[in-house]
Amino acid sequence: MTTMTTRRTQNMRRRERFWGLLFVTPIGLQVVLFCIVPIGIAVVAGFTNWNVIKGTYDFIGLDNFFEFLTDKYFWIAAGNTVFMLIPIPFYLFFGILFAIGSHRGTPGNRVFRILFFLPYISSVVALVVMWKWLFNYQYGLVNQLLAGVGIQGPDWLGDPDWIKTTIVVMIVWKMIGITSIYVLAALKNIPEVYYEAARLDGASPIRMFFQITLPMLSPAIFFLTIVGIIGSLQTFVEVQLFTSDGGRNYSAATVTYYIWQKAFVSNELGLAFATAIFFALVILGITLIQFRLSRRWVYGGE
Amino acid sequence: MKKRSAAVAVFAAAALVLSGCSAAQTESGEHTITFMGWGSDTEIAVFNDMIAQYEDAYPDVKVDYITVPAADFQTKLQTMIASNKTPDVFYLAPENVMPFASSGIVADLSDYVDNNELFDPANVWQKAIDMYRYDGTTPGKGAVYGLPKDIGPFALAYNKDLFDAAGVTAPDPESPWTWDEFVAAAKKLTSGTGDDKVYGSAPYSLESAVWSNGGDWLNADHTEVTVTDPKFTEALQWVADLSLKEGVVPTSEEESSLPSFQRFMDGKVAMMGVGPWNQGGFWADATFNWDLMPWPVSPATGERAVWYGGIGFGVANSSKDKEDASNLAAFLAFNEDAQRTNMEQGQAVPNLIDMAKSEYLTSDKAPANKEEFIRIIEDYGRRATQTYTYNSEWFGLFNSNLASVWTGEQTAEEYAASVTDEMQQMLDDGIAEQTK
Repeated sequence: MTTMTTRRTQNMRRRERFWGLLFVTPIGLQVVLFCIVPIGIAVVAGFTNWNVIKGTYDFIGLDNFFEFLTDKYFWIAAGNTVFMLIPIPFYLFFGILFAIGSHRGTPGNRVFRILFFLPYISSVVALVVMWKWLFNYQYGLVNQLLAGVGIQGPDWLGDPDWIKTTIVVMIVWKMIGITSIYVLAALKNIPEVYYEAARLDGASPIRMFFQITLPMLSPAIFFLTIVGIIGSLQTFVEVQLFTSDGGRNYSAATVTYYIWQKAFVSNELGLAFATAIFFALVILGITLIQFRLSRRWVYGGE
Repeated sequence: MKKRSAAVAVFAAAALVLSGCSAAQTESGEHTITFMGWGSDTEIAVFNDMIAQYEDAYPDVKVDYITVPAADFQTKLQTMIASNKTPDVFYLAPENVMPFASSGIVADLSDYVDNNELFDPANVWQKAIDMYRYDGTTPGKGAVYGLPKDIGPFALAYNKDLFDAAGVTAPDPESPWTWDEFVAAAKKLTSGTGDDKVYGSAPYSLESAVWSNGGDWLNADHTEVTVTDPKFTEALQWVADLSLKEGVVPTSEEESSLPSFQRFMDGKVAMMGVGPWNQGGFWADATFNWDLMPWPVSPATGERAVWYGGIGFGVANSSKDKEDASNLAAFLAFNEDAQRTNMEQGQAVPNLIDMAKSEYLTSDKAPANKEEFIRIIEDYGRRATQTYTYNSEWFGLFNSNLASVWTGEQTAEEYAASVTDEMQQMLDDGIAEQTK
């Protein structure tokens, strides 16, 4: 009798395991085929001088790493990439502002929400085409407006000192929508009782914002910062679309652009992979540091 | 946990095997060859038409025509090469001939060119075929690795109406202007301010200026960067000064705001370099009369010079149907009907010499001086210098901050001095890569 039960349980367990495996197979396959295998190939290829056109490769140890670390264009790109972090505080600030604004039943808040969100879901290509016209030196709306108040606007897209600024402004504008949606969702999760209690104690709205709202939003802000930094470090499409070659004197090229250029323009796949691995480790490091720092400011529940 | 990952691995392996199997080919009778290219909608329509004709002529061959946006083409092609799925026939840029030929990606078509049923090589522009030759060391010589889709001579066009209004007479095709005469004419043609500004000329072809002045980016055997040579810097400065000093060419900021091509179409630029591919657009949209004139000559040599470009059809060495693929390439390159369609749509000068010299020259469409295109192909046109080197990174570097000369931040001499060492380094790297 007991053996029967054991066998039945075993059968059931086996069957369960079978179905369980079947259910995880698609996602498992996806992870293996599109994450683990490519990452494995990239790591191995990073230590070779693989040339796609020739189809040849030799293992060359750490040469690739020395090559890009001593390449001045890599460091220019690295500097530009750091520059791309500038949008983050701006869109966080405006995102929170808009979220709070539309949270309190402002008239037309739905319309605003849609308007702010629109850039995020639009194709980057279309946006860049539009921005190219907005920031056109001679005929762009921005410079026309500036001319209206007597300022000769700069060559936003051609001048190496301005192109990065143009990209930063565009990223801020594009990211405000998604930021405010996340913040809005977090706002809705703050129990009203906190505010009631505070009001009973006679707290001012400003005090309530800094003592209740902001701490309660901190997990969302933390998440947005992490995602934002990773996203900013990987800025690529804007660079490729605004400039055909990374901008005058490489003034707009980011590390991701550098990697792409090495892989597909110079055919140095090994070098590109090495740079990509290095860059991925840097991003990982930055993210870990943020998690460490987050303990000091992110509210983790009672 | 361990077992589960083992199961996943088995599944993955099975999937890999299955996907590998599906690539197997059917060998009997009818077979399919792939052709990859890019093009405008009209061009793609023309190609679809030509492919249908080809399939009629060779009923057992089906053509799978893949079109990719021009900007993605190189990336896509390289990905396909890396995964051993090179299309049987594909667009081959002249600068790719060396790397592709030396790594065995494109097939040697020399025998095919000499013994084929579709065209007579003597009736094809020598320079058009030479763009796809490579003997292992020097491009332009040796075995043929591609057939020309077209050859693109870059000629100087002018707006006749603006010339008449300014009282300027274009030079006789046989006796080109000198640079000074060109500047004087451009000054007369420049007028107005603000939105009514008319410029005498679009940014001048740097190739034409440098070569006509006796300079070049590299020395004759393409091993040394020569941009600091006074013959080079003088020409570069002259081109920059057309805007900076003479004010007859849009500034670089104006050029990036509204390219000269658009200004020319609007009648706001009087002279501009054009290729045969511009003809169709001009026929459809130009509201003024236009024609071609010879490129002005530098006092240093008195010789005309300018570049010609083009793109070809390469056949994959890995193709299972090289004969069919070569036939398709030849059909697309030289089929009379197709050439005529291309010509009539104002896309190209025919590849076939007899057609170019009869039907094309005698057609009554603009430009009247079609001879200029032919003269560039036969006489004074040159291949761009960067198509002679294994890769063109050195050229990309030269261009990367060239705008600082156009804006006057640096003189031509200063700029050339600031980039020459690094250009040489890149050129050396390319040469090392070529001989490796």
